[in-house]
Amino acid sequence: MNIREIDLPGIGRKFQMITRSGDKFVVIVHDDGRRECYHFEHEDPETSISMISLDDDEARMIASIIGGMAYKPKMLENIEVAIDDLVIEWYKIESSYACVGKTIGELNIRANTGATVIAILGPNHVKHVNPGPDFRLAADTTIIVAGERAQHKELKKILLQGSP
Amino acid sequence: MDHMVLEVGLAIALIALAGLLSNKLRFSVIPFYILIGMAVGPHSIQIWHFDFRFIESTPLIEFMGRIGVLFLLFYLGLEFSVGRLIKSGKSIAVGGTIYIGINFTLGLVFGWAAGFALQETLVVAGITTISSSAIVAKVLVDLKRTANPETEMILGIIMFEDVFLAVYISILSGLVLSGSTSVGGVIVSALIALGFMLALLLIGRKAVPLLNKALNIRSNELFGLVIFASLFLVAGFSETIHVAEAIGALLVGLVLAETEHMKRIEKLILPFRDFFGAIFFFSFGLTIDPTTLGGAVGLSIAAVVVTLIGNFAAGMFAGRSAGLSPKASVNIGLTIVSRGEFSIIMANIAKAGGLLAIIQPFAALYVLILAIVGPLLTKESKLIYKLVGRFFKWDKKTSNAESTT
Repeated sequence: MNIREIDLPGIGRKFQMITRSGDKFVVIVHDDGRRECYHFEHEDPETSISMISLDDDEARMIASIIGGMAYKPKMLENIEVAIDDLVIEWYKIESSYACVGKTIGELNIRANTGATVIAILGPNHVKHVNPGPDFRLAADTTIIVAGERAQHKELKKILLQGSP
Repeated sequence: MDHMVLEVGLAIALIALAGLLSNKLRFSVIPFYILIGMAVGPHSIQIWHFDFRFIESTPLIEFMGRIGVLFLLFYLGLEFSVGRLIKSGKSIAVGGTIYIGINFTLGLVFGWAAGFALQETLVVAGITTISSSAIVAKVLVDLKRTANPETEMILGIIMFEDVFLAVYISILSGLVLSGSTSVGGVIVSALIALGFMLALLLIGRKAVPLLNKALNIRSNELFGLVIFASLFLVAGFSETIHVAEAIGALLVGLVLAETEHMKRIEKLILPFRDFFGAIFFFSFGLTIDPTTLGGAVGLSIAAVVVTLIGNFAAGMFAGRSAGLSPKASVNIGLTIVSRGEFSIIMANIAKAGGLLAIIQPFAALYVLILAIVGPLLTKESKLIYKLVGRFFKWDKKTSNAESTT
C-alpha cells in the first residue's frame, strides 16, 4: 500500500494514499481535531472532485465503520486476531454444516482438535461466554475459537462434516 | 486616568466588532483590525462617555501590542522545528531559496530605486519579502486547498521565510537599534546579537533535560507563571543588548519547543497570542493618522506591484523545479503573496530605531492592500491561470488538457 505522510506546518498532517483502483485519497488531520477527506480524480490528480469535513467524533465513528468494527463484510466473516501462534477466529455456522444440532461435547472439540470454544454469539446477539460441553450448536450462530492454526484447520473439518 | 478601563474596553470592543465583520465578509481579520485602529485615534471624536481618541490609553494599548509581538514570535518559535526543516526535502529547500532570493533582491532594488538610505532600504526589503503565515494558512483551509500538491511547497516556503525572518530581524535590529554610526560599531553590535542568539540556543539545547525536570509542574497557574517569566525576562534582556525583544521571544520559543512540555505551553499561550496579537494590529493602526497615508500611496502601490511580480515568478520557478504543473505553480505565487503580521513587525523595528516616518504609513497601506488582495488572488487563481496562460503558452500538453476539460 502506498501511503505518504507529510507535515503541514500551521495546519496539521497530511496522509495521502493512491488506492489500488487508482484514485488519490487524501486525509488532512487538522491541529484543531477536524479531519478533511479529499478525493482526487484519476485523470487529473490536482483537482479534488469531492471533499468531506468531519469533526473529531464523527471521524472516529467513520474510522470504526471503515475498520470493520461496527459491521463486518460477509466476505471477511472469518476474521482473525493473531497473537503469536494463538489465533482467535470467528466461525459463522451455516445451516448446511453437519455440526448443526450437535453439542460441543458430542463433537468433542477440545479432545479432537486442541482448540477451545471461548464464546458463542447466537442470533439476536445472545452471548454465551465459555459454553459447556452440552451446548448445542444451531444455525446462524457464530462461535469464537482460540487455538493454533493447525487446530483451527481440524476444527473447520469437524464443523463442516460433523465428525473428525 | 479614571476612564482607563473604559477606554481599553472600548478598544477591545472595536477590535471584536471588526473581527466579527471580517468573519461575516469571509476576509482575513488582520486588515480589519488595522483599519479600525486607523479609524480611531487622536483625530477622532468623543461621543458621550465614549472617547474614540484613546489619548490616555494609547501608551497602554501600545504596550499590550508589544506583548502581542512577543507572543506571536514565541509561538512561531514553539511551532518551528529544525527536524521538520531538515526532513522537508530538497524540492522545498530549492523552492524556499528561489523565493527568498528573488523577492529579497527585488525588495532591495525597490528600496534603492525609491531613494531610501541603507537602513530604510533593508527594512523595506524585509517588509516586502515575508508573507503572512497566518493569512496563508487560513486561506488554504478556507478554500479547501490543504490537500493540493502545491500546498506542501507553499508551507515549505513559509517555513523558509520564518528562518529568514529570524536571522534577518536579528541582523536588522543590530543595525537599526544599536544607534552606532560607524561601520565597525554596527558590525560589533550585529556580532553581539548573533553571539547572544547562538549562546542562548546552544545553552538551551544542552539544558533540555534540566528544563524537562524543572517544568514538571502540576499546577497550571505556576506553570504559566514560570513560562511567562522566562519569556518576558529573556525578551526584555535581549532588548538591553540591542537584540530585538521579538527575537528574544522567538529564541525562548525555539528552546522550549525541544522540551516535552511543548504541547502544554502551546495550549497555554494560544489564547494570549490571539488576544494580544489582535491588540497589536489595532495599536499599529492607532499610530497611523489616515491623513498621512496620502504621501505613501504611490510608494505602496509600486511595492505591491513589485511583490506581485516577484511572488508570481518565484512561485512559477519553485513549482516547476519541483515538478508541479503550471496550474499548481500559479497557485503557489498567488497564495504566498499575502502580507501581514511580520511586515508590520518589520515596520515597528524601523519606528523603534527612529528611521524615516514614512515607513509606517507605507507598511500600513502595503499590508492592507496585500492582506485583502492576496486572499482574493488566491481564490481566483484558476481564472488568473487561464488569463496568464493566454500570454505564456505553458507546454502544449497541459494547455490541450485544459481545453478538453
